[in-house]
Amino acid sequence: MTRAAPAAALLLVLLVAALSGAAVAARPGGTLRMVFVSDPPTLDPAHATDLTSSSIIHQVFDALLELDEKLVPAPALAERWSVSPDHRVYTFHLRRGAKFHNGREVRAADVKYSFERAARGKRPWVFDKLVGAREFIKGGASEIAGVRVVDDGTVELRLERPFAPFLHLMAYDAASIVPREETDKRGAGFASHPVGTGAFRFVSWRRDDQVVLERFAEHFRGPAHLERVVFRVIPAEGTRFNEYVAGQLDVGDIPTGRCRAVQADAKLKGDVAIWPTLGTSALRFNVERAPFTDARVRRAIAHAIDPSIIVDRLLEGCVKAAQGIVPPVLAGWTPTATRLPLDRARARALLAEAGFPGGRGLGPVAYHFNTNDANQRIAEALQAQLKEIGVTLELRRLDWAAHIKVVDDGSAGFFRQGWIADYPDPENFLTVLFHSRNVGAAGNTSRYRNPAVDRLLDEADTMAIGAARMKRYEEAEQMILDDAVWVSLYFYASRALIKPYVKGLERSPQSTAPEFLAPLRKVWLER
Amino acid sequence: MALLRPIASRVVALVPVVLGITVLVFALNAIALGDPARAAMGQRADPETLERLRREYALDRPLPVQYATWLGRLARGDLGESFREQRPVGEVIRERLPATARLALAATLISVVLGVGIGALAAVRAGSALDHLLMGVAVLGISTPVFWLGMMLALVFAVTLGWLPVSGYGDGALGHLVLPAVTLGALHTGTVARMTRSSLLEVVRQDFMATARAKGLSEWAVLGKHALRNALVPVITVIGIGLADLLVGAPLTETVFAWPGVGRLLVAAVGQRDLPVVMGAVLVFALVYVLGNLLVDLAYLVIDPRMRDAARA
Repeated sequence: MTRAAPAAALLLVLLVAALSGAAVAARPGGTLRMVFVSDPPTLDPAHATDLTSSSIIHQVFDALLELDEKLVPAPALAERWSVSPDHRVYTFHLRRGAKFHNGREVRAADVKYSFERAARGKRPWVFDKLVGAREFIKGGASEIAGVRVVDDGTVELRLERPFAPFLHLMAYDAASIVPREETDKRGAGFASHPVGTGAFRFVSWRRDDQVVLERFAEHFRGPAHLERVVFRVIPAEGTRFNEYVAGQLDVGDIPTGRCRAVQADAKLKGDVAIWPTLGTSALRFNVERAPFTDARVRRAIAHAIDPSIIVDRLLEGCVKAAQGIVPPVLAGWTPTATRLPLDRARARALLAEAGFPGGRGLGPVAYHFNTNDANQRIAEALQAQLKEIGVTLELRRLDWAAHIKVVDDGSAGFFRQGWIADYPDPENFLTVLFHSRNVGAAGNTSRYRNPAVDRLLDEADTMAIGAARMKRYEEAEQMILDDAVWVSLYFYASRALIKPYVKGLERSPQSTAPEFLAPLRKVWLER
Repeated sequence: MALLRPIASRVVALVPVVLGITVLVFALNAIALGDPARAAMGQRADPETLERLRREYALDRPLPVQYATWLGRLARGDLGESFREQRPVGEVIRERLPATARLALAATLISVVLGVGIGALAAVRAGSALDHLLMGVAVLGISTPVFWLGMMLALVFAVTLGWLPVSGYGDGALGHLVLPAVTLGALHTGTVARMTRSSLLEVVRQDFMATARAKGLSEWAVLGKHALRNALVPVITVIGIGLADLLVGAPLTETVFAWPGVGRLLVAAVGQRDLPVVMGAVLVFALVYVLGNLLVDLAYLVIDPRMRDAARA
């Protein structure tokens, strides 16, 4: 080997490294153009209740933690944390040098202020596990006793009782950290001019038209790649699609009924992105309302429904039929539960047992759903399927506000309801939707009260994360499905069109659409 | 000055009409299923927060009290606060009003210029193939759904040809206004064209038209100078009534073209049961409609001396 050989080899290695580096290096600059179906009602984390608002809030604000691409809590404004052995005290150490968009450094007092402000907002449930939070929310206390500022860089949170998904709540957008001087200065106007610590700062918002953000150069992780992000507001599905095809949007949605068509379209098939998300579409019964007080009637209907027809023919195979309640995409979840199988003979027998042979005496059964094309088609398919066991379905189509009213107040007996996880934990599906303390608008619209299920859920909610906890949830899930208070139809999927030059856009199960919740600081444009 | 009295009496007559409309809208909202507090809460709502929101929105008070409170505020020029946006309704509407006004004016301009032009041309060539073609187009304009027409125009002129933007307000650029204005204007162009044609055909049969022709004036001069002015009264009536078409069409057009106007605001507010915004937006639409009709009445007085005399009498 000559003396020149090692130098040449080193040069080669450097060259390869440089070339491969160049191939993946993110390019700074450019504007990402995304779209919303409706205008966000607010940009204030304390008052948001919808995904559209949350998606802007996620870019403009940071919370103590964030969820990484596997939905595991990761450092954000808190660079590290510790949990007491009894899982009731969480101590967060704030990152030094993290600044709000107004230039001021974040302090532990901001965390206390933000939590107390948001606890009296529209999502108090995010904070009600903290000691003294319930009294504070009701106005009976001047502060949340369970939030203690240890020093400028440390905050301690005490829980009433252990709650395994608590770290997920600390990554939730309702728990975003806001600067007091800005909320004081702007009052209600803070909702239109948000100031946070996020990778993007707010620039402008023309109502019903567009929201513009630009990168915050002093973000604690360094500046984002994108210079700007524009979220346009386009209510009509066809118009959104036209804008995408015309090249005026970088990310769009797939119109209803065109999932297969876009996958077959030579110009669009490369842009199609479909991934499973944390949501389940289902049919629910109100078990306090006849004839659904009788489990045999509920089971008969569950046995008569074939979700595969709905998934394959109506939803074009772009979602997956659901067996259980909790989506299998949830990390750490082993889907073991199974819904009552399609068995119309069994369905007829159960109806006869319940005193309704061939559906006689049952009368027309009202099925409530909220207005949209897919729901209408599904309702018609259900009508045809139930006809086969002699059950006549009467379709009751209402807009969302009216639908949720009849569902919440218990006047609907059989209805459509989906659920999209607020945070990735089985508690957010099973406890919220089926625990007896959540009957009504809080989530348990089936009005299901099963002490055995309650006990399993109570145990699981306070246990440390691990297999034993999951096993209790799995048991509870199967009991709920066997009781047929919920008939799973399909798991939601995010269905998007993404231009090939858009890089780094996370396809997280938490994000029901790319414009929702994906951290845009990671996105860059290859053009 | 002599016109002030009839104007004043018409303005006074508007008050009960507008009040009647607000009572009707309030009653319809009360009957409609749905709870504004629940609609504002997303998929998960705890009962205590719902109760707090109902108190904040004053939904816990009896309906007549709610209406009287709204009316009292209105008398002070306050339209209340939006449930959804938590901001004054006046501010919410004021932000969107310029966009709707711009769209409605452009659509009116298109419908008047095109409608009168097409109608006059058809009248001049009455009975010809051109007349049939133009009237066929007019009927098509009247009967084509706004939603469909908007999508088709966008598909052809924006997506395929790339001449115009697909949707949005842009920064107020004229290009963004063209397709929505044509879509909304088309609805009314046909009506104006048909009325202009029939009105002109009626006028040209009058004796004074024969006199004008006997003086040796060209057919276009006869039509422009003598016939059109006389034919305009019914045409102006149609334009005035057409305001209703524009108001009905605005929510759809604004939705198709993502135009940030009051029509879209109203649609969203109904969906969210945002009663103060619904009431405010309907009030604006009602005022525009009745004031539009008032302007039509005034236009009669300007155009037709006989009506001026009648008003003075």
